[in-house]
Amino acid sequence: MSLAAINAPSADAAAESPVLELRNLTRVFSIGKRFLREGKPLRAVDGVSLSIPRGEVLAIVGESGCGKTTLSRMMLGLQQPTSGEIFVSGEPLADVDRKAFARRVQPVFQDPYSSLNPRKTIGQIIADPLHIHGVGAPADRLAAAQDMMERVGLARRLVHSYPSQLSGGQRQRVAIARALVMRPEILICDEPTSALDVSVQAQILNLLQTLRAELNLTYVFITHDLSVVEYMADHVAVMYLGRILETGPVREVLHAPRHPYTRALLDSILTPEPGLGLPRPDLGRGFPDPLDPPPGCRFHPRCPKAFAPCATLPPARVSEGDASVECHLYD
Amino acid sequence: MSGAPVLEVEGLSVDIDVPAGKLHAVSDVSFCVRPGETLCLVGESGCGKTMTSLALMRLLPPRATLTARRMSFEGRDLARLSERDMARLRGDRLGMIFQDPMTSLNPVYRIGDQMEEVWLRHRGGARAAARKRAEFLLERVGIINPRQRLDQYPHQLSGGLRQRMMIAMMLMCEPALLIADEPTTALDVTVQVQILSLLRDLQQEFRMGLILITHNLGVVARMADEVAVMYAGRIVEQGTGREVFAAPTHPYTRGLLDCIPKHGQSAARGPLGSIPGIVPSLVGEMSGCSFRNRCALAHEACRRGEVALAQAGADHAYRCVLPPGQARGQAPAFAGGAA
Repeated sequence: MSLAAINAPSADAAAESPVLELRNLTRVFSIGKRFLREGKPLRAVDGVSLSIPRGEVLAIVGESGCGKTTLSRMMLGLQQPTSGEIFVSGEPLADVDRKAFARRVQPVFQDPYSSLNPRKTIGQIIADPLHIHGVGAPADRLAAAQDMMERVGLARRLVHSYPSQLSGGQRQRVAIARALVMRPEILICDEPTSALDVSVQAQILNLLQTLRAELNLTYVFITHDLSVVEYMADHVAVMYLGRILETGPVREVLHAPRHPYTRALLDSILTPEPGLGLPRPDLGRGFPDPLDPPPGCRFHPRCPKAFAPCATLPPARVSEGDASVECHLYD
Repeated sequence: MSGAPVLEVEGLSVDIDVPAGKLHAVSDVSFCVRPGETLCLVGESGCGKTMTSLALMRLLPPRATLTARRMSFEGRDLARLSERDMARLRGDRLGMIFQDPMTSLNPVYRIGDQMEEVWLRHRGGARAAARKRAEFLLERVGIINPRQRLDQYPHQLSGGLRQRMMIAMMLMCEPALLIADEPTTALDVTVQVQILSLLRDLQQEFRMGLILITHNLGVVARMADEVAVMYAGRIVEQGTGREVFAAPTHPYTRGLLDCIPKHGQSAARGPLGSIPGIVPSLVGEMSGCSFRNRCALAHEACRRGEVALAQAGADHAYRCVLPPGQARGQAPAFAGGAA
């Protein structure tokens, strides 16, 4: 393939179908498995269905251990789902060639210190995907890498530098350039700014927004920071113990949250307003053991609004337009 | 808050020998902490906030030299105490907790043993008494089944529980001053609120001074009695939390506040505020304002000499050559911040 070919926008036959769709995705890990001994099943992701229209930003939020990283790894094809299906522009992932898929979906990871090879130069790191996919001649690859560096706000002269010579923000720009050099359709960003200072975070978020418009990208944004969600995303999915408890347009979910868990997450945000003191979100202590999730609604032991059916009956998903909630208060 | 300060620091500087010369990690920092009061040191990585706290604990790296006009803790000069006396103070009257409790706990000792050691080392006596106190404190910081927890190892606890345990461990000897360096940065937002509430409650209960080091302005706004904003080793703005957040004056403080996405702010309404450029090198002699290369309001006067702290309000100072009105620019940085 030539560089020109990947730079041309792909003719999109399936313009109507969402660029990424997850149907009833489940991933079960076996914990403590040994020879002749069955492990305990851990349902890291349990029946997740989401669909992401082209050009939109979907944020997935939740506490650590809620399954958001496992979900992102499945979207990247790094982990096989136990059951359920992923569709890329309407095509089942199982039918898409591994390399062809990697050209369309690329990751940006949290820690720009550990996700870049310290022994390669910036130019090599960014051109690596082109090399792996055999795109263009070696000289063109470096030029393509430099073009991409300029796009993400890195000086061209850094092409022969090593990651250790760069600041955290510059490294995250390198990671973004590497992800974009193949001109993917989708970026899966797993906490891309949580290792950065606030002033650098703002630069990276602004950059991602600019690139999204310029390159018609779709983002899946995994984060625990709800103020970033409001700034970045169009849609949000709130995850808890492997399930999506609430999803919908950001404006609706963050301004009128329906699920008590979403409410509690919102109450936990510390805005820099003086004189307000600390919030006291209505949340029971203790994240439950994922190996032994509570029966009924998984959130009920921490829920301030729990009532009789919550402890026994799993709530059904109630959908309304493109918003949905799983809570007995609404079914 | 009343009472004589538990800690008074005047003119604290930390220089580190590096191959290229002297790195001025902390320059001429002054503050004081009263019992039951919280001082927040806030700034981005490399601003010197952690070096300041390590200097207070006298745990600086070997290449670093500490100078201070005064560093008085309960009437004793921390800068001049012998290493032996300093070791007696740490963990007793002077406590410290770090961002990641896992790295400050010994992974091969049980939690109970580590907590008891603090007491036995400073107060001596019977192990049973130490254990009783450990159990009482674990319960006080909200750990269920403290007796079972004492027999567990650090890796068996979640991040939030480990931080609670660390706090309990530091309370063993009821310190007069607790230094907490990014205590909630590694935690989930829901757990962060719980840990901060716990720190605040305990601080009132034990009349402890608290130095909270953080990069999170949200945490500062909600926790601080006093704030010191640090940049490139210096305090650029200092005052009561109320005044600093009601009228942030230094362009750096205002820039930081603008970087935080506000409720109701989406990308469709334009980009986030950001601070262009990077922190200057702290090696060698500096003159003028260290923020001038990144400052939208910089002009010729910013290059010359040392910029002194100027009053911006009754309990509010800032380090900028511009008068407060001009330094603040036109619009308030944070609309919700009116006191």
